Amino acid sequence: MSALLEIDDLRVTFGTRYGEVTALDSVSLHVDAGETLGVVGESGCGKSITALSVMGLIPQPPGKIAGGSIRLNGEELIGANPARLRGLRGGDVAMIFQEPMTSLNPVFTVGDQIAEAIMLHQNVDKAQALKDAIALLDRVGIPSPDARARDYPHQLSGGMRQRVMIAMAVSCRPKVLIADEPTTALDVTVQAQIFDLLNEIQRDFGAAIVLITHDMGAISEMADRVAVMYAGRVIEEASADDVLDYPQHPYARGLIDCIPALGRDDHRLAEIPGVVPPLHLLGAGCAFAERCAHKQDRCGLEKPLLAAHGHHPVACHGIEEGRI
Amino acid sequence: MNTSYILRRLFYGLLLMLGVVVLNFLLIRMAPGDPAVVIAGEMGGATEEMLESIREEYGLNKPLLVQLGIYIGDIARFDLGESFFFNQPVTHLIGLRIGPTILLVVTAQLLSIVLGVFLGVIAARKPNGIMSAFVSVFATIGYAVPVFWTGIMLIILFASIVPIFPVEGMQSVRLRDANVFVKALDILHHLVLPAFTLAIIYLAQYARLSRASMLEVLGSDYIRTARAKGASEKSVLFKHALRNAALPILTVAGLQFGNLISGALLVETVFNWPGMGRLAFDSILRRDYPTIMGVLFFASFMVVIANILTDLSYRLADPRLRGR
Ligand SMILES: Nc1ncnc2c1ncn2[C@@H]1O[C@H](COP(=O)(O)OP(=O)(O)OP(=O)(O)O)[C@@H](O)[C@H]1O
Ligand SMILES: [Mg+2]
Repeated sequence: MSALLEIDDLRVTFGTRYGEVTALDSVSLHVDAGETLGVVGESGCGKSITALSVMGLIPQPPGKIAGGSIRLNGEELIGANPARLRGLRGGDVAMIFQEPMTSLNPVFTVGDQIAEAIMLHQNVDKAQALKDAIALLDRVGIPSPDARARDYPHQLSGGMRQRVMIAMAVSCRPKVLIADEPTTALDVTVQAQIFDLLNEIQRDFGAAIVLITHDMGAISEMADRVAVMYAGRVIEEASADDVLDYPQHPYARGLIDCIPALGRDDHRLAEIPGVVPPLHLLGAGCAFAERCAHKQDRCGLEKPLLAAHGHHPVACHGIEEGRI
Repeated sequence: MNTSYILRRLFYGLLLMLGVVVLNFLLIRMAPGDPAVVIAGEMGGATEEMLESIREEYGLNKPLLVQLGIYIGDIARFDLGESFFFNQPVTHLIGLRIGPTILLVVTAQLLSIVLGVFLGVIAARKPNGIMSAFVSVFATIGYAVPVFWTGIMLIILFASIVPIFPVEGMQSVRLRDANVFVKALDILHHLVLPAFTLAIIYLAQYARLSRASMLEVLGSDYIRTARAKGASEKSVLFKHALRNAALPILTVAGLQFGNLISGALLVETVFNWPGMGRLAFDSILRRDYPTIMGVLFFASFMVVIANILTDLSYRLADPRLRGR
């Protein structure tokens, strides 16, 4: 039995002034109905590109899906005909974007924008769609939804706009909901509310959620499984508890150490030295090698593959050799 | 849209017209030459008594400020004085010719906006495509070529090479007794070349502007949102993108209206179109001051009205400006 959404060996490239760079390489992920997959990793590691690939929204050019497969319920999405993809987008697969301030169209009311999504996928008239939109605004916790539906995006706060985006995304009861850092632009109290909301929606609609985030706290709250990405690859994947409690990859360990644990005595935050190398400078070896305390010759020469070594799947020569 | 804003805008428009009237008056009076001599010239010969009586009759011997006051008072009563040359009220002269000018200017404006924006949108769809290159080249040529040259070239083309459009006047003499419908068609037929000549510069500008504006808008987050909903490419382009891209086009269209009117004066002369342009041309050659000032007054009046309309439509189009 295959998963609801399966990404297999996905490879995405971008044409840049340095030539063609590989933004995603051999990315494989899957998520099932009712499950939440957390995707974590530093800025620029390819989280959004993965999400946009599923949506069929990679800007082409400069982007190109150079290989692999994305299957929804067993149906191949890569190379599917555009009309079919439009039918799925916003219907079976919906996405909440990272940028709530700019993701709504400034010249249409939020009610109209949600109603449009409803009318695109359900056979209802404008009046009914608007009614449904108002019900959704109420559902995502927007006070006086009737009046707010007639507001334009600039009249709403960032948190409200993100709620509108969520209402729009869930308007057609998607099977897969991709939430790309749904809370980074919002303040902490609003963040907690948004996560509660996502949880409720999952319970009500039974959607699979792909939660992309930097926030390890959110991961421990929300995710069933976690994939850790680095420089366009998945380098570790396991249940949320396993990754949080027994991170294997040196990068994942660094990431977990960065969490400011409450109740821990030392308030010094650990920090991973160095930065992610730019894509055009990725060499033949492990992309993390230059920042890794356990680097050996092999790490600079050969890319480690994601494979179960002991505890759970991880892409690291050191773990494979049992020296970390 | 609030009424107080409209009233305020109309009031500013009125002030502006007053400024225009004063400026017109002073400019004309500062021009070298004695109007009395000109008028006398038209009557054939000039004795000193005649000049004196002319000055008396037209109030030219009064102090400048008094003349200005009288002039403003007259205008407030829609009295633009009597033409030195035609010996008819200027309002009557302009009344006969303002219709054809408005027809020409409005047609050219609509033609250039609709066609220009359409070309720009098509070009923006594929920024590296053939259409895009065509729009860029056409925009550069259209912008560089003077109106009268385009006009003369079109006249040569349609007068001798493919005579399918009339190149002169507004109505055919032989259709003088035809019914209204035939007459209207005849006027439209005559309108083609002058309107196109006048439109082409602006058409080119709008095409280039809307291409740039669309390209910018198409890269924005809310366009990605529209695609993520499953909206069709047509709806993305013409609904989501164009409504936003239209804002700068509206601004420019409003600003260009004045240029369009001065362009119309040239085009009318080239195509012998019986509008205010011909009247201005004739009255300038004859130093027919009241008529010149009347034409200037009406031209400015049209520009002020156009600017007010632009302002109001801008607010209609952009909800962020409403209620301010
Ligand atoms: N249009 C583009 N042209 C070239 N490279 C691109 C383009 N879009 C993305 N990339 C590259 O793809 C890589 C992955 O980007 P992505 O947006 O997926 O990162 P991310 O993990 O979502 O980061 P963040 O946490 O900052 O959102 C980046 O290194 C970026 O440079
Ligand atoms: Mg991102």
